[in-house]
Amino acid sequence: MGGGVRPAVAGGSAARAGLLRAALQSLLLASVALFFLNFNLLGTASPSRRFSQDLVYAWFGDEAWLYPRVASAERSARPRVLVVMVDEPALALRGARWPVPVGFHAQFLAELEVLRPRAIMLDFLLIDPAPQQDVCELLTVGARLRHEGVPLYLAVTRREDLAPMDAAACRDASGALLRGTQVFTPVSVQRQADGSDFVSRRYPFEQRADAGAAPGSGLPSAAVRMYCDSEHAPAACLARLTRVAAADAGFELAWSPQGDPFNQRWSHASCIETPSPLRAILNQPALPRESPCPPVATLFAGALLSPEVDPALGAGNEALFDIADGAFVLVGGNFRGSGDLVTTPLHTLLPGVYYHAVALENLLVFDGRPKVRKEFRTPKLAFVGYDLLVLWVLAAIFLSRQRWLLRAELHRNPFELSDAARGWIAPLIARYPTPLWILATAALLLLLAAFRSLQLLAVAAAIAGLIVVELRVAPSAEIRERLRGLTMYLAALALSLAVIVLATWVGYRWLRLPPGDWLGYFSFAAFGFFVAHTAILEFGRRVEELNLARRGGGESR
Amino acid sequence: MTRWLRSVLVTVALVPGAWADEPAPAATADTCLVLNNRILGPRAPERLLPLLSGDPTKGFHAACAVPWNRLSPANCPLPVTDCYRGSLLQVGNDAACGRQTGPLWINSRWVITSAELQDKRAHAVICQQLETGAWAGTRDLQLDCVPAKKELSPESAPPARETSQPAVTSPRPDH
Repeated sequence: MGGGVRPAVAGGSAARAGLLRAALQSLLLASVALFFLNFNLLGTASPSRRFSQDLVYAWFGDEAWLYPRVASAERSARPRVLVVMVDEPALALRGARWPVPVGFHAQFLAELEVLRPRAIMLDFLLIDPAPQQDVCELLTVGARLRHEGVPLYLAVTRREDLAPMDAAACRDASGALLRGTQVFTPVSVQRQADGSDFVSRRYPFEQRADAGAAPGSGLPSAAVRMYCDSEHAPAACLARLTRVAAADAGFELAWSPQGDPFNQRWSHASCIETPSPLRAILNQPALPRESPCPPVATLFAGALLSPEVDPALGAGNEALFDIADGAFVLVGGNFRGSGDLVTTPLHTLLPGVYYHAVALENLLVFDGRPKVRKEFRTPKLAFVGYDLLVLWVLAAIFLSRQRWLLRAELHRNPFELSDAARGWIAPLIARYPTPLWILATAALLLLLAAFRSLQLLAVAAAIAGLIVVELRVAPSAEIRERLRGLTMYLAALALSLAVIVLATWVGYRWLRLPPGDWLGYFSFAAFGFFVAHTAILEFGRRVEELNLARRGGGESR
Repeated sequence: MTRWLRSVLVTVALVPGAWADEPAPAATADTCLVLNNRILGPRAPERLLPLLSGDPTKGFHAACAVPWNRLSPANCPLPVTDCYRGSLLQVGNDAACGRQTGPLWINSRWVITSAELQDKRAHAVICQQLETGAWAGTRDLQLDCVPAKKELSPESAPPARETSQPAVTSPRPDH
């Protein structure tokens, strides 16, 4: 019996050793893949990664799993964000002109008061000297709004920007001093852009005095402050969002290609954009062209100041109250030549106020837990370790498939040309002199390089032609073998994709990683990137053999 | 070529130019042109009405926000004594915000007027657009908003845009 047990133990030990060996091999392969996934020589990998992320938002930005925007069905549950756009015609309705006078802001806040918003943010830097009467009017209206429970936020470059308001020494009806800091919460409107293409994908948590300042010591960004003030514990919310060590940290903005349906009332362009991945395959522009219909509900100030501009807001202003009641209102400017424009992943240019509006929508829809890149996360090693874990599983699937192909004696790559096909094609080309077919090939490739629309056609024609040749000339046994290999390849691909979907779900939903941080997984599954790195396994085997030989030599001595 | 044919060709050539000079139809009836206009009541009775003081020459100022019964204690229609840009109405009550404010104005967005009850035309078009063009030129460029989606009746053409202001070197408003 004992004799029977011993081989079983030996077999179990061998199996364990084999499993350990396979695990180590896949770990080695995954580590190499992780290095190349994060290899960013001269920063060239960053633009492609960001562009891939832009494509994800362009194609799936309306999917609830990616960006659960404040849809009409959820309006009652989540407060909505409303942009109110001040432009030259609106100023003219009050006899004012650019730059927007402080007195106009006072009048306009009084008009906004009627809408009973949840909070109001003025995306204007009130840094120009203003008459004392205008400043006092602004503070009086602001104090009234504060008294009614409507917080007011004012864009500043630094906290001291509110000092001139205090210097005006304004007093309320009871004679009490009105201070700018009592009325307005100063917020930062600093913008961040990716260095590689200057697109504003990231929204800063706060504006710190300098790179060495402590986390949480800076001026909170507008959307961050507005969101946290609407939470039950604003201080804890602010501390949580601004605790990132890097001074330039921010969260990644999710975008939708669709315009807000409310904007269709004034937009002469369609608010429905449906960019499709098919367009990219057909070599057409993959990202939506500049859309004049912004993704956040927008009310033009002129429509508020004059029913003549927008008479369709209802006899009793029903549509107006419906859109603005309880909403976060962000008042921004849109003046020709003012330069307050932002480039987003899906819009060539948008007025700067949308940067803050979309950031606030992101915070609302992701419940204050927006997507943040790995580079701003702590502990960083843990997040990169998550990548390694995912790649380890993918590498294990890849190596299992390779081993299965070996066991099944399927030595041929299913995508490789058979000997029979090569034997049929080569003589066909050999009928022509070498200079002729080489020059013809070069001319054909030159045409394909010059005319992108021909590329897809040429690739499709080449694949179809090779399949026909294979089916005609390859032996049926080889075709069957190839089909088995192809089935195995597709099964492994499906399993890999399932792992990636799970990893993506965990990464996006729970680890809050933006698409740019998990899209790389797909390249390993879809394009077989592991194939390119299997040389390391050969090297590993050689090292292992040498190590075993050395140990064997040592034991024999 | 006969003189008759020449005159016909000249006439045909000039006709489009003559059409181009025709004034565009007014967008909507200008409230300021309506005689005996009166404020009949608030559009949303439960909300406060923001009032302005001042005048078009010296500028307007935020004065106060009051309920309708403060503006019209007897709940009677208030005569419109002056009007500005079709939307600011001077009300026949200059004491609603206390003394020394002078004449008070209200945005016609918040009140129902007798003028609009007389104006029975349908308002089909709202025409707005964002200025997001990346132009390498002066800001005097005119980009007219042409409604492409909605039906436009001859009476409700888009409102004429304000003449753009000359280029200024003011600091950016933001960021």
